[in-house]
Amino acid sequence: MSGPSPTRNPARRLAVAVAAALLVGACGSGGGPTSGGTTEVTVGVIPIVDVAPVYLGIKQGFFTAEGLDVKLETAQGGAAIVPGVVSGQYQFGFSNTTSLLLASSQGLPLEVVASGVASTGEQGEDFGGVIVRADSPIRSAADLAGKRVAVNTLKNINTTTVNQVVRDAGGDPSTIQYVELAFPDIVSAVAKGDVDAGQVVEPFLTIAASQDDRQVVSNYAGTDPGLTVGMYFASRSYTSQNPKAVASFTAAVNKSMEYATAHPDEARAILATYTKIDAAVQADLVLPKWPTTIDRGPVQRLADLAQQDGLITKQPNLDTLLP
Amino acid sequence: MTRRALVGLGLPVVLIALWWFLSAGSTSFFWPPLSAIVAAFPRTWTADPILHDVLPSIARLTAGYLIALAVGVAAGTAIGSYRTLRALCEPVLEFLRAIPPPVLIPVIALFAGYTGATTKIVTIALGCLWPILLNTVEGVRSLDEVLRDTARSYRLGRLTTLRQVVLRGSSPRIAAGARQALSIGVILMVISELFGADRGLGAAVVQFQRGFAIPQMWTGIILLGLLGVALSGLFRLVEHRTLAWYRGLRQAEREV
Repeated sequence: MSGPSPTRNPARRLAVAVAAALLVGACGSGGGPTSGGTTEVTVGVIPIVDVAPVYLGIKQGFFTAEGLDVKLETAQGGAAIVPGVVSGQYQFGFSNTTSLLLASSQGLPLEVVASGVASTGEQGEDFGGVIVRADSPIRSAADLAGKRVAVNTLKNINTTTVNQVVRDAGGDPSTIQYVELAFPDIVSAVAKGDVDAGQVVEPFLTIAASQDDRQVVSNYAGTDPGLTVGMYFASRSYTSQNPKAVASFTAAVNKSMEYATAHPDEARAILATYTKIDAAVQADLVLPKWPTTIDRGPVQRLADLAQQDGLITKQPNLDTLLP
Repeated sequence: MTRRALVGLGLPVVLIALWWFLSAGSTSFFWPPLSAIVAAFPRTWTADPILHDVLPSIARLTAGYLIALAVGVAAGTAIGSYRTLRALCEPVLEFLRAIPPPVLIPVIALFAGYTGATTKIVTIALGCLWPILLNTVEGVRSLDEVLRDTARSYRLGRLTTLRQVVLRGSSPRIAAGARQALSIGVILMVISELFGADRGLGAAVVQFQRGFAIPQMWTGIILLGLLGVALSGLFRLVEHRTLAWYRGLRQAEREV
């Protein structure tokens, strides 16, 4: 069992093993080499625009060229993928940066292996932003103070970055009342007037724009022009035992991201294979940046914001988290 | 009575002891030692979360459950009393009953709003309604015809007949439905808070999980379990008092 080492007591060890197995469903194969010299790895991803390069890279054969046989498994979000990676069900996972910082701060042994997705750095032309109805009195980030704002996850990257752009604009973010809804429901709730504003990412920004909603602020770009919104990671036990597979994965992901950046039309086209995006929306949506390097500054900034908003009490160790 | 209480406590004590000792040396992040979970309890459930998470959740559960009880008993009595109405309603009831309330939450939200308590209360009420309604229909339908005739020949008023004969006669079935509805209500209380919520017991458990505060997450799960036990005890108390006549009747039948 690849996981934390239980104690020497056999009964206790059995109980912990059973418990862990119950908790995660099953233990993965651990990504051992298979016949033919390729290594099988399972990657936990969220079916959103952010991970398009990986789908594209598999299609282009970048992973096979590195000797990796990649199986993608979709999950709801980082909270579901992190336990999968820790238990060995997935060898690699994708998660937003704040979730990784929260997990590290709580002492989970995770290591980032590749950059994942970053802000375009352009206000109004980013892949995430805050939307309001066309007739809303909210004109700027400062107007969001005291309002009801929908986000897809409370106490995470979207609340800390919206708080930050409101703070920067001179508003008091502590008066914002956040409500949690799934992205499609956020667009409907804003249209219905149940919430005053909502934070969404592509393709929902484009869908909202087609319904005449206005973008008030790009919360990622406003927090940091080079904000690292998501990253690929593995458990520290896996990276120490399989340095070759990790190096191969990092190289293949980076190659995929370079390819996706150079061929945006192919990146758009691959979305149809794993999401249900309307063709018109697919052509219009703003693609994120897929940088191959991890800039430590924005990650530290997200950690500071998480601490400021009380999501974490102690700073995670970025030296062990980042490669 | 005390012996029964001791026996009832026996298994939980054994299970808790097992959990305590088997998990004592656990280094698994998602399966912390029970001692760590217990230690996290007072830190996690202070006055603020009890006031803003636990109590609103219980209030929404109570409201939804009582609405279901009122609507279920009223509609069930009407449907159970009139054969034509029953024939008309039966297929529709079966259809509606087969739809799990969780999938209806987004639909309910369209009418009742994405945020606030209304959608959550409607969701809980809708889920609790079916066992109460269907059991009431069965209870009223299976009433002895002789009882109804007797009530008629004694010229009991409609209201008296309804209260003393129909509702009383079907109350054991209604109670069985109400008991089923209670456990469904607790489940829906949690599920309804996964959508458009910011505070609540269910929402708190999910947020602990997402923030990787695992011992705190377990305290929330244990709290939900304790809430279930408390509600079940409360239900038993009410049932004990309202169905006293029924227990007496059964006792008398057994002694004959």
